[in-house]
Amino acid sequence: MNDFLSLLPLIIIGSGAILLMLVSAFEKWRMETASYIGMGFIAAAFFMQLFVTNIGETVLFKTIFNGMLVSSSFTTTAGLIILACGFFTVMNTNTYFRVNIFSTLEFYPILMFALCGMLLLTMSQELITAFIAIEIMSLAIYILVGYDRSSITGTEAILKYLMLGAFAGAFFAMGTALIYGGVGSTKFAAIGAYYATHPANTPLLIGGAFFILVAFFFKIAAFPFHAWVIDVYDGATTPVTGLMATALKAAVFTVFANFLAINSGMHGSWMTFLFYVAVFTMFGGNLIAIGQNNLKRMLAASGIVHSGYLLIALVAISSDNFTGSVIGYYLAAYAAGTLGMFAALSYLGGEGEKRKTFEDFKGLAKVRPYSAAAITVFLLSMAGIPPTAGFMGKFYIITSAITAGQTVLAVLGIVSSILSMWYYLRLIIAMYFHDAAESFETKGSFFATASTFILVFCVFAIGIYPIVI
Amino acid sequence: MFEYALSVMIFLPILAGLALLLMPFSKGGARVAGFIVSVVVLFLGIELFIGFSGAGPMEYVESRPWIESLGISYSLGVDGISLLVLMAGSILFPMVFSLFAPRSKGYYGNLLIAQGAMVGAICATDLVLFYIFWEIMLLPIFFMIGLYGGPNRLPATLKITLYTIAGSLLMLAGIVYVGVSYHSQFGEWTFDIVQLSRLNLGGGFAILAFLMFMIAFAIKIPLFPFHTWLPDAYTEAPSSTTFVLSAIMAKIGVYGVIRFVVPVFEVEFARFAILFSLAGVTGMMYCGLAAIAQKDMKRLLAFSSASHMGIIALGVFCMNVQALTGSLFQIAAHATSTGVLFLFIGLMEERMQTRNIADLGGIAYRAPIFATFFAIAMLASVGLPGTSGFIGEFLIILGAIKFNAFIGFLAGTSLIIGVCYMLWMFQRVFFEKSNDRTEDFKDLNVTEALTFLPVILLILAMGIFPQPFIKKIEPTAQLQIAQVTASTQSQLADKTVLSSDHNTQKN
Repeated sequence: MNDFLSLLPLIIIGSGAILLMLVSAFEKWRMETASYIGMGFIAAAFFMQLFVTNIGETVLFKTIFNGMLVSSSFTTTAGLIILACGFFTVMNTNTYFRVNIFSTLEFYPILMFALCGMLLLTMSQELITAFIAIEIMSLAIYILVGYDRSSITGTEAILKYLMLGAFAGAFFAMGTALIYGGVGSTKFAAIGAYYATHPANTPLLIGGAFFILVAFFFKIAAFPFHAWVIDVYDGATTPVTGLMATALKAAVFTVFANFLAINSGMHGSWMTFLFYVAVFTMFGGNLIAIGQNNLKRMLAASGIVHSGYLLIALVAISSDNFTGSVIGYYLAAYAAGTLGMFAALSYLGGEGEKRKTFEDFKGLAKVRPYSAAAITVFLLSMAGIPPTAGFMGKFYIITSAITAGQTVLAVLGIVSSILSMWYYLRLIIAMYFHDAAESFETKGSFFATASTFILVFCVFAIGIYPIVI
Repeated sequence: MFEYALSVMIFLPILAGLALLLMPFSKGGARVAGFIVSVVVLFLGIELFIGFSGAGPMEYVESRPWIESLGISYSLGVDGISLLVLMAGSILFPMVFSLFAPRSKGYYGNLLIAQGAMVGAICATDLVLFYIFWEIMLLPIFFMIGLYGGPNRLPATLKITLYTIAGSLLMLAGIVYVGVSYHSQFGEWTFDIVQLSRLNLGGGFAILAFLMFMIAFAIKIPLFPFHTWLPDAYTEAPSSTTFVLSAIMAKIGVYGVIRFVVPVFEVEFARFAILFSLAGVTGMMYCGLAAIAQKDMKRLLAFSSASHMGIIALGVFCMNVQALTGSLFQIAAHATSTGVLFLFIGLMEERMQTRNIADLGGIAYRAPIFATFFAIAMLASVGLPGTSGFIGEFLIILGAIKFNAFIGFLAGTSLIIGVCYMLWMFQRVFFEKSNDRTEDFKDLNVTEALTFLPVILLILAMGIFPQPFIKKIEPTAQLQIAQVTASTQSQLADKTVLSSDHNTQKN
């Protein structure tokens, strides 16, 4: 029964998506109606997931699925983050699509399929399941990125993402094959056990692990596979970018952490590699972000930096008593801040996303003080200033790094967050210390505004009352 | 009722400040609301001071667990080290609201949040809690300078923000290092400073963490050579913000060193003390000399404030009871003298629309009360006997000579520089011929005079009867020094034995 309950959120979302898909055949339905239905299903799945959180670690349907799926407190936390991100994204799209009219009803079922893939990905404990989940998620996201066919940047974004994403998928499949060749199993636990008994690295295992790491690095936009992020995030519609930056990253990081945590032998032998990837991801991301003039591009680059911080946590994973609390907490904190930014951009961006650069937001505080304050809170959270969630997240990551003896990495993380102050402060300065050049009128429903302010509350709530830890 | 006095003093201003920011208020209404809140905090502060026994350990303790898995707790307390800093943070604030033409509600809201965060940073006995308040403190300052400052406010804001954030993020790494070391030595998590003082640190990372702490505090104090943000920020900030920066925020830097760095890093502190005290003395001289050359009164005072912060910091690094007591005393004295001078400058600027020393003159004939009050605050700032400044500086120099005669000599000499620029400035601004600008300079009106009077009386009272104040701070200072000396000496003894072994082998 517990197995079924743990899977229920996934089933709810999946059936909701299929239902909406069927409904889309009727021309008369309006986009708003579909978004309400979508919200309803995601909310139901969220509360189901919340209910499941107490169950503890279970292998789902051990006999049927042969131990492919495992539900633990870490995966349910990640599931909660993903569903919450999905919910707020639907809220944002409600507002966004009233101003930018190009979407059709199918948008929502596809979005829910993406969520399905993500939920499955968090629970997968086996490489082929993970591959299938990644592909479900990615295919849906490809479509969402290119949904606006008339937009040139959108088309560019989907082309780049699809091409490179296909490569990443191929790498993952190749890595799976090699690992299977070496170990004789694709289960994480079996791979870990094999590593423990056969410390000598065979070429098959090194190659396989390398390919799988490359695929993960691509999905989380870690150095040196981060270059696609900027254009893709910029080209995608704002709410979709928000979903990609938060839910997708949460899903991939969860499975990545699960993969490494159970596999201490592999983690140990790739530690140095991960160390340098983390360092270069942080500093490379900062270098890109400092030069950006466009907000979405800046946020994309800052997403790279945050991937770097999460990689610090991955380096510091201890296999003995892995709970994923550090990573889960940071993902929640980061998701609240980043999604808040995209929620605010969804309604402030205006028609055709006409407000997009730092200059366009000059003087926002004079005209819309509450929106400016909300954006400031999100930026401070991303920069890691207390008492926001971002600070606590950073604090846990640094603590875990120093506890694991990675003091140098912790210090480099701090240096990187000093650098990142520059571009976060730049937006705050633009909003507050300049006079308004325009009236910042917005159209559309109040949903995106509502989600912005709920997320402000979340940023403080997660920071002051850290429930996950 | 006074069990929760500290929490009230922290969160009343913060909540009131947030309310001012979020709700519609008129300028006057915001000012009155801010004034009332700050007066409530003032009374709580006075009550706390009277009720404070001064036996040594923490009083008014509040403690409850917050994040138990990491041993972070919400714990507050006051002892002799924090008492006078806390007084500076709670007593002086009503002045800011009663002086000057009303500003927008946002300004008063930010001021209140700054006060709450500062009181929080002063009272926190948990390192993480301290860090949180320490960071919150910066945000209102950022907005106050950036939104309401002078013409060159933008670079000044960026400078102070990036400087302090860089420092405090480094300190965060240090804090985590300390917590993790405690966990590995004692097997449990805590960030409580009393527990952390049991730590026995050593090695390269300990020195690195120590330097990270010290850089963060040195930036806030500011200690030479981390002072370069100060002249711009102090000059461009609105005068009441400059007052807050100079009278309270800078003191929290010194306080942080005494409270958090000394007990945890005794050995490193003892090893680097001479270096840092030299930095303090150099800062005194350098900023003093720079002050002589200034044409802008506020900039002159900014350098003077930095110069006097140098001597306060020096008192901490000397590591004896006299100097530490002197520093703690001087924290209050400096807040009431140099800090208050910034308020006078603000009033002058409001009346004259200029701060240029060359444009002023002869104010003493037009405004005798203003000149008298200014003179008393200024003389306290240069340390004239009979004022509060004398007691503190005397104790510090006494301790400095005990610590190292050369440094004591330098510190004593550099005080003379202070007298030079202050008196010269006073002569040019208040005496000499009045010009058409200063011709109709208005004296203090009743409100302003009543605002300044208590502080002026306090300066004199602290100068003539210092004992009630010293009595409350000295036991804690002795305790602290005893602790540091004990642990450094035992460790130094270990080291000496080791090195002599080494020598015998060599020979």
